[in-house]
Amino acid sequence: MTKKLFKDRDDFWRLICGIIAILGFLLIWHFGTNGTRLGEIMPGPIVILKSFFEAFTQKTAGYTIFGHTFWSLSRVLVGYSVACVLGISLGLLMGRYRLAEAIFRPFYEMIRPIPPIAWISLAILWFGLGETMAYFIIFLSAFNNITINVFMGTKSINQELVGCAKMLGANEAQVFRTVVIPATIPYIFAGMQIGISSSWAAVVAAEMVRSSKGLGFLIVSGMDINNISQIFVGILAIGIVGFLLATIMRGVEGKLCQWNVRGK
Amino acid sequence: MSVERERKIEAPVIECKAVHKKFLNLAGEEHVVIGDIDLQVKKNEFLVLFGPGQCGKTTMINLISGLLPATSGEITVNGKPVTGPGADRGVVYQTINLFPWLTTMGNVEYGPKIRGVGKEERQKKAQYYIDLVGLQGFEKAYPVKLSGGMKQRVGIARAYCNEPDVLLMDEPFGALDAQTRYMMQEEIEKIWQKEKRTVIFVTNNIEEALYLADRIVVLSNCPATIKAEYKIDLPRPRSYVDPEFLRLRKEITSIVDITK
Amino acid sequence: MKEKKYTLISIAAVAIFLIIWQICAAMNPGGMLPTPVAVVKAFFLKFTDKNPDGATMLVHLGASLKVALSGYLIGLLIGIPLGICMAWYKKFDWFARPLFDLIRPVPGIAWIPLMIILFGIGLLSKSMVIFISSFTACVINSYSGIKQTESVHLWVGQIYGASNTTQLFKIAIPTALPMIMTGMKAALGTSWGALIAAELLASTKGLGFMIQQSRGLMRVDIIIAGMAMIGIVGALLGVLLNLLEKLVLRGGRW
Repeated sequence: MTKKLFKDRDDFWRLICGIIAILGFLLIWHFGTNGTRLGEIMPGPIVILKSFFEAFTQKTAGYTIFGHTFWSLSRVLVGYSVACVLGISLGLLMGRYRLAEAIFRPFYEMIRPIPPIAWISLAILWFGLGETMAYFIIFLSAFNNITINVFMGTKSINQELVGCAKMLGANEAQVFRTVVIPATIPYIFAGMQIGISSSWAAVVAAEMVRSSKGLGFLIVSGMDINNISQIFVGILAIGIVGFLLATIMRGVEGKLCQWNVRGK
Repeated sequence: MSVERERKIEAPVIECKAVHKKFLNLAGEEHVVIGDIDLQVKKNEFLVLFGPGQCGKTTMINLISGLLPATSGEITVNGKPVTGPGADRGVVYQTINLFPWLTTMGNVEYGPKIRGVGKEERQKKAQYYIDLVGLQGFEKAYPVKLSGGMKQRVGIARAYCNEPDVLLMDEPFGALDAQTRYMMQEEIEKIWQKEKRTVIFVTNNIEEALYLADRIVVLSNCPATIKAEYKIDLPRPRSYVDPEFLRLRKEITSIVDITK
Repeated sequence: MKEKKYTLISIAAVAIFLIIWQICAAMNPGGMLPTPVAVVKAFFLKFTDKNPDGATMLVHLGASLKVALSGYLIGLLIGIPLGICMAWYKKFDWFARPLFDLIRPVPGIAWIPLMIILFGIGLLSKSMVIFISSFTACVINSYSGIKQTESVHLWVGQIYGASNTTQLFKIAIPTALPMIMTGMKAALGTSWGALIAAELLASTKGLGFMIQQSRGLMRVDIIIAGMAMIGIVGALLGVLLNLLEKLVLRGGRW
């Protein structure tokens, strides 16, 4: 019983310490940039917060902050969805069927060590400067992570469970549907979680290299016009969206994997 | 009672003829695990395979269930040779092996479900077996929430619910603590009395063997061969302190080769 | 026997792919797809040829490695101890965690423009980006590694009178080592990616710069050769880390 009380007190102090830490950081930043030489190139936190809220209504480079976020998210949605479908299918196939592994694994292993961002130049030449290039880069970065996780997950299935299902009368297709897929779901989610954060990083990179809208474009155009507060506004939005995406994915996993220790 | 049962017993349900199994170990040497076993199990007989530690009992179960092929010899169930896993044989494992993503109900109804039995019918049947093993109220629980004994009850209900011709039980209570083990022995006996099946039950616990068996087949240590057979005619439910029980216990223990 | 069959299938699959690629590329010369033979040629030629971007492959590779490794090592040196301290000292965690959580959701790549404005396009700005990219992975993994320590093990330490510091170094850190190694591997992957992004955006040397320049000149053969080099070096660094892991963990995870 005392344990709960202590936990509450700990939580209280944790909150206080957190507030002190962040306030302290902001204060150092504020006074470090207020009237000092550093302040000539680096804006203080107040300026940045002000521009962040201004960006809600004012258009920078053609869109409000919501517009840029929307563009980035829509790109992620396309590339990421395709990566989920293909990555999960390929991972399951390679993990379950040795023949599929023999055919696809060499290609996969060749592509895997190349950072998806390194494909940008090639993608621009192949697909032009349009959206397809961004979709492709996002697809690649999510696909790599999802495939490897699903593949490993499928490989690590308890073979006794497969035998068990067969003894209960399941044929190969039924084993696949009722054992292989559910047993791999925690790994699918692990892959999808890493996939969403890497595709979020990829969209920023792709937009930085070539785009005219999106959060990555927002920060890179901030760089071009030497506007640091615009860069910070972009970084803030990237961080918030990244955080929300990760939280949503964790929530979905918790809901769907109640049976799993990881899901708890 | 026993005379009446005797009359019902006809052709053997499980028949093993000169079953032999060799493995290759990592060094590439041949390693004989099962050396020519002949075995017949009659309908509704409770047969216990009893033997020391690693003597190949589990391999025997894997051969009968068809998960491993025999090196030579033949195994038939109801006259049909075993070529692979199939629903005519139900297995209860020591490692339990419930599907962790399915609830108690989901696990028990798994067999009928993949055979395409309608939802209402299979759930009614599953409910019957869940009640039989005493798990009413836990239908919606996931295996992580169940204790070891409860999990094994689900395992038994799952095997029963699929209505196999024979039940293979591979040290089903091996992973349970002593107290739960006694309880489960009584439980399985009750269940079997109520729902007679042909059972091959593997154990290394002599009390368990004597408590449950119609017949005990004692296996020798590696390679496993049949060392002796005992017909156990004690009335059920048996008592662990019955003089005859104790005598048999002493006799069987004395011939088991535990030195190796 | 069976494994041999599958190896043959793998080889056949790659061979068929290469043949199809060769045929497709040879059928429309001047397109955006060079033949595999041309790519291999470009790859080896680039070791001696400074054209068209002003430096040979090895010079670019050296420049990239210098940036990547300096940022990566600083990331390890700061990230791992920080993660360990956050996990071990509760009070420290209370202060450091909120600040860490503040920067964690931002991908390392997103800091590139800021770093370029603050530190120019030289070694420092890129190293900073790579530092941030590898730092997060190191902190997270060493933190959860330490948190995996079983209380029973610590109790044993306490019973034998081990001080807090001894418990940390003799019990908690050995427990965390496998996770720390995992973090180092993850960090390497993200750093290598961040480096390429940084070089694509602003640099005068490096593999990323090389493929960026080749894009302008439509030299797809050099782009693919550069990507191959990036992949090979990334994979080699990964192999090195695996070796280190084997050495540190004496051949297995405990």
